[in-house]
Amino acid sequence: MINKKSSEFVSVPQAKTSGWQILQYQFMQIWQVLAALVLIYAVFFILSPAFRNIDTLLSIFSQAAILAILACGTTVVLISGGLDLSVGSIFAVVGVVVGVLIKEYQLAYPVAIIGALVAGTCLGALNGVIQVVTKVPAFIVTLGGLTAYKGLAELLGSGKDLSRFPDGFQMLGSGYFAPICIMFGAALLTGLFLTKTRLGNHAFAIGGNAEVARLSGVKVARSRIYYYMIGGMFAATAAILEVSKLNFAQSSRGVSYELFAIAAVVIGGTSLFGGRGGVGKTIIGMLIMQTIIVGLAYLGVGTSFQRIAIGAIIILAVYWDVWRRQAR
Amino acid sequence: MEHLESAKMILQARGLSKHYGGVVALDSVDLELREGEVLAIVGDNGAGKSTLVKALTGAIAKTSGSVLIDGRETRIDNPTDAKAAGMETVYQDLALVNEISITKNMFLGREIIKDNVLGRLFGVLDFVKMDAKIRDLFEKLDIRISDIYRDAEAFSGGQRQAVALSKTVMFGKRIAILDEPTAALGVRESKMAMDLVRSLKDHGLSVIMITHNMQHVLNYCDRVMVMRLGKVAAVCDVADVDGDTLVGLITGAIEKKVGR
Repeated sequence: MINKKSSEFVSVPQAKTSGWQILQYQFMQIWQVLAALVLIYAVFFILSPAFRNIDTLLSIFSQAAILAILACGTTVVLISGGLDLSVGSIFAVVGVVVGVLIKEYQLAYPVAIIGALVAGTCLGALNGVIQVVTKVPAFIVTLGGLTAYKGLAELLGSGKDLSRFPDGFQMLGSGYFAPICIMFGAALLTGLFLTKTRLGNHAFAIGGNAEVARLSGVKVARSRIYYYMIGGMFAATAAILEVSKLNFAQSSRGVSYELFAIAAVVIGGTSLFGGRGGVGKTIIGMLIMQTIIVGLAYLGVGTSFQRIAIGAIIILAVYWDVWRRQAR
Repeated sequence: MEHLESAKMILQARGLSKHYGGVVALDSVDLELREGEVLAIVGDNGAGKSTLVKALTGAIAKTSGSVLIDGRETRIDNPTDAKAAGMETVYQDLALVNEISITKNMFLGREIIKDNVLGRLFGVLDFVKMDAKIRDLFEKLDIRISDIYRDAEAFSGGQRQAVALSKTVMFGKRIAILDEPTAALGVRESKMAMDLVRSLKDHGLSVIMITHNMQHVLNYCDRVMVMRLGKVAAVCDVADVDGDTLVGLITGAIEKKVGR
């Protein structure tokens, strides 16, 4: 009785966690990286007069869009404790597939898009299935995929003229508006998936501690395959947009896109080791990267130095994460 | 004696063995758990206690042997089978995922899905319902954790263990299996955890508990099973033994003795 009384004074359990509390909690997770983005933007804003207009801002967003969509899938895979180095090559395959379906098979472009999405998802599934069946680490399996899918893209696309697509298809990726909207749509869907659904929540559990998840009755192997399928699907979405934007498809596209995606995820603050992160962070991470690339270009810094800067930022981002963990 | 004799066997294991290559980790172990009792499993490191629990609950594949629930042979090949049979296990060091919230940990693998189209199509979770269930349970068990949306990592060892143990009340329909519930806990936290173990009994659970703490065996358990080198060295009523005898049985200074 006395015990019961005292417990009422020690902590009064709230009836339920309010939406406001959760929003606050989520903002606490994201504010640092958001502040970094604003700060970096402000620095270029001050340094370069040409940088100070809305077109520059829009071009940062639209340049970020295609890679950010790809990175949505990478976020899911990394949170689940996986790694997919092959998404750049899946990107190449899907670009060729959508081109071939429209130009060679004369399919209506919505049908071609669905076909291309299915192709990307299947290649992602293959990554997952090989890992689950053979138990070969993700790094090796998807490194193999990186090369193999590249070869597949070349086989499918060699000697074909895959350009000049129908107007409706071109609309998707052209201008600022459509790609940016699709990027935010993809991020929203991924965010809802990760926070609201069972499969999405299992990604954090599996990435955090796969053995505990297994012992708790989570279907770890099957879920992992789904995460790679999602990675493949987003790679396909990004590829379709790029083909639409450039108005041609080529098997040489997508090179090192997987690294840009992983970099954005890591800069955003999603853990490379799984279990933590979010897609909002990834979008901000990608915007940070593009702001730096565009900003340095405005300051007349060449691409070589841009790459060095991005490399340094990736290391800094992970160092910051490690430092924060130790400080806890 | 008579009533114990006739007490229902809720869980039995017969000839449970686990070999790792040539190494015999578990050598034809028999185990009986009676309805409503707390059975302690004691033994030195490497005696096979954790292996026994893991083989019993389907966490590892057993080499041979069978498991009976209510006297009926039941196939338990994975943790999901064990849960379906009414067994809820708290594994040592493998109870919670640090990176996810208390709510998500409590319902991991058994989430409540929204009772609408979104739930059925996309598996959208009903956090409101899950939170409410946890708060009810925590109040019933007098567990003082209110910020259940925080990651498990943010809580003390005692609080984490309390959460893990309460999971057995939430889901363990009949049997709770605990692998060293007080390992790495302080004195006060240990007492809290053990009081919680005792209350499991009040909630209608039969309990198997691995422990290294002889005081816990004597104070909180009904029977004790001593393991040595992968075999059962002794099974007896706690009332019939004292700490020294138990230690003797564990180390092998006292030879095999099988009573109640």
